[in-house]
Amino acid sequence: MMDETGKRKQRTVQLVVALVLFVAAIYAATFIKLPVWLPALQ
Amino acid sequence: MTEAIAAVAHDRHGHPPAGIMRWLTTTNHKDLGILYMSFGGIMFFIGGAFIMAVRAELLLPGLQLLSPGMYNQLFTLHALIMVFGAIMPFATGLNNYLIPLMIGAPDMALPRVNNWGFWILPFAAVLLLIPFFLQFSGIGSGASGLGWVMHNTSLDLQSGIGIDFAIFTIHLLGISSLTGAINVVVTVLNMRAPGMALMKMPLFVWAWLITAFMLILVIPVFSAAATMLLTDRHFGTHFFDAANGGDPILLQHLIWFFGHPEVYIVLLPAWGLIPHILATFSRKPVYGYRAQVYALWAICFLSFIVWSHHMLTSGLPLAAEVYFMYSTMAISVPTSVLVFCWLGAIWRGAMTFETPMLFALGFVAHFGMGALTGMILPDVAANAQYHNSYVIVSHFHYTFFGGGIFGMMAAVYYWLPKFTGRMFDEKLGRLHFWLTVIFFNVTFIPQWFAGLDGMPRHIADFALRFSAMNLISSVGAFLLGLSQLLLVYIVVKCVRGGPKATGQVWEGAQGLEFTLPSPPPYHTFETPPEVK
Ligand code: HEM
Ligand SMILES: [Cu+2]
Repeated sequence: MMDETGKRKQRTVQLVVALVLFVAAIYAATFIKLPVWLPALQ
Repeated sequence: MTEAIAAVAHDRHGHPPAGIMRWLTTTNHKDLGILYMSFGGIMFFIGGAFIMAVRAELLLPGLQLLSPGMYNQLFTLHALIMVFGAIMPFATGLNNYLIPLMIGAPDMALPRVNNWGFWILPFAAVLLLIPFFLQFSGIGSGASGLGWVMHNTSLDLQSGIGIDFAIFTIHLLGISSLTGAINVVVTVLNMRAPGMALMKMPLFVWAWLITAFMLILVIPVFSAAATMLLTDRHFGTHFFDAANGGDPILLQHLIWFFGHPEVYIVLLPAWGLIPHILATFSRKPVYGYRAQVYALWAICFLSFIVWSHHMLTSGLPLAAEVYFMYSTMAISVPTSVLVFCWLGAIWRGAMTFETPMLFALGFVAHFGMGALTGMILPDVAANAQYHNSYVIVSHFHYTFFGGGIFGMMAAVYYWLPKFTGRMFDEKLGRLHFWLTVIFFNVTFIPQWFAGLDGMPRHIADFALRFSAMNLISSVGAFLLGLSQLLLVYIVVKCVRGGPKATGQVWEGAQGLEFTLPSPPPYHTFETPPEVK
C-alpha cells in the first residue's frame, strides 16, 4: 500500500505526462490535420 | 517531477538564500509570484512607452516623427508586450502567490518547472526587442510589424529578421505559458486541502483552472502556426503561400483559433478575482457562485467555436459567416450571467469604496462597455464597415484595459497589503483610480467615433477630418500614461513602509489567505488547514 503522499506524487506524474502528450498531439495535429479539413470552411 | 517535489520538501524548513541567488533559484510560490508580478509591472511600462510614441505620431495629421514601418513595429511591440509580457505574467504571478494559499496547499505542484517558466520570460522579452534596437545600428529592418498575433496580412511579405525573432519569442512564451498552465491544473486537481471540494474553491481558482485548460488547448496551435510560418520563410514549405498551392487564409484561421480564446485567457483571471473584491466591500458572501462557475465554463467552450468573427471580411461562405455571427453573439449569454452576478454581489450590500472596490466597480462598468460594443461587431453586414477600423481598437481596449488592466489594478490594491504587510496610501490610490478612469475614456471614446467615421487602424497618418478625435485621444493617452506613474509611487511607498496591515486586511475579507498573517510566512500550510 502506498501512503497518501506517494499516491499524490503518482497522480501528479500521470497528470503531467497526460497533459504534455495532449499538447504534443495538438501541436502535431495542426500540421497534419487542419489543412485538410479547414478548407471546408472556405 | 517527483524529484522536484522531494527537493522542495527538503528545503521546506530552510530559509531563503540571501541576495540575487534567492531570486534566481527560488522554487517558492510566493517568491515566484512576486517575480512574475514585478516582471508584468515592468513590461506594462515598457509597452506603455512604445504606445506613447505611436500616439505622438497620431497627435496631428501628417507624418512627423515616425516612418510607417517604424509605426508598425511600435504598435506591434506595444501589443505583444502588453498581452504576453504584462497582463498574462501578472495574472500568472497572482495565481502563483494566491492559489496555494486559497486551496490550503504548501506550494505549487511543480516548483522547479515554475522557476523555469518564469526565467524564460526575460529572455523572451529581450529576444523580441533585439531586432528593434539592432536597426538603429543599421542591422536588419527592425522588429515585427505584423500585429499582436501576426495577423496584419497587408504586411505578410515583410521580410527581415524581426519576424524570425518574433516567431522564436512566440515559441518561448508558449513554453512558459504551458508550464504555468500545467502547473495550475496539477496543483488545483491534486493539492487541495482536505475538505476543499471543487465546488468550494474560490472563484479565482476556478477561473484560473479554466484559463489553464484554454492555454493548453490553444497555445500549441499558435506555436504550430508560428513554426509553419518559420518553415515557409526559410525551409521551402508552402503552408501559407498561395502562389505554390498554399493557403494564406489558413494562417488566419490558425492564429484566430488561438487569438479569440486568448482574449478570454487575458480576462478570466480578472473575472475570477472581481467577485472576491465585490463581496468583501459589500460585506456579503459571493453572489451566484454556481452560476458563475458554469458561466465561466460556457464561455471557455464558446470561445473555441467563434474565431472567424475576426475574418468576416475574408470571403467565408455565407453559411459560415452567419454561423460565426450567431455563435459569437451567444457568448453574451454567459457573459451577462457574470455581469448579473457582479451586480447581485453589491445589491443592498453595506458598500464602502476603498481603492480596490473602486477599481472593481470600474472594471464592471468598462468591461461592460467592451462587451456591449462587442455585440455589434459580429453582425455580418455591419462588420464590413467596422472591420479594420478604429471601432475595433476602441472595443478591444474597453475589454483589455477596461477589463484586464482594471482587474489587475483591483487585484494589486486588494492583495498588496497581504503581500507586503503594509497598507498603501488610500488617498493616492483613489486619485490614481479617478485619473485612470477619466483619461482612459478620454483616450478611447474618440477612437470609437473616429472609427465610425471610417478611420482605418494600423496607419501612421490619417485624413484631416479625423484630426480632432485623434488630438483628444493622444492628449488623453499621454495623461493616462503619466497617471500610471502614480501607481509606481504608491507601490514603492507601500513596500518601504506604511501602517501595518492585519491578517484580515479588509473588514469583510473572506478566504484562507486572510486567515494568515500579512505578509504570510515564507512557508504556509505545510499541514493542511481544516476546510469546513
Ligand atoms: C461579448 C463579448 C465580445 C464580442 C461579441 C466580441 C466581438 C468581437 C468581434 C466580432 C471582433 C472582430 C471585429 C473585426 O476585426 O472586424 C472583435 C475584435 C477584438 N476583440 Fe472582441 N468581442 C467580445 C469580447 C472581447 C473580450 C472579452 C476581449 C478581450 C479581453 C476582446 C478583445 C478583442 C480584440 C483584441 C479584438 C481585435 C483583434 C485584432 O484585430 O487585433 N473582445 N471582438
Ligand atoms: Cu474574438
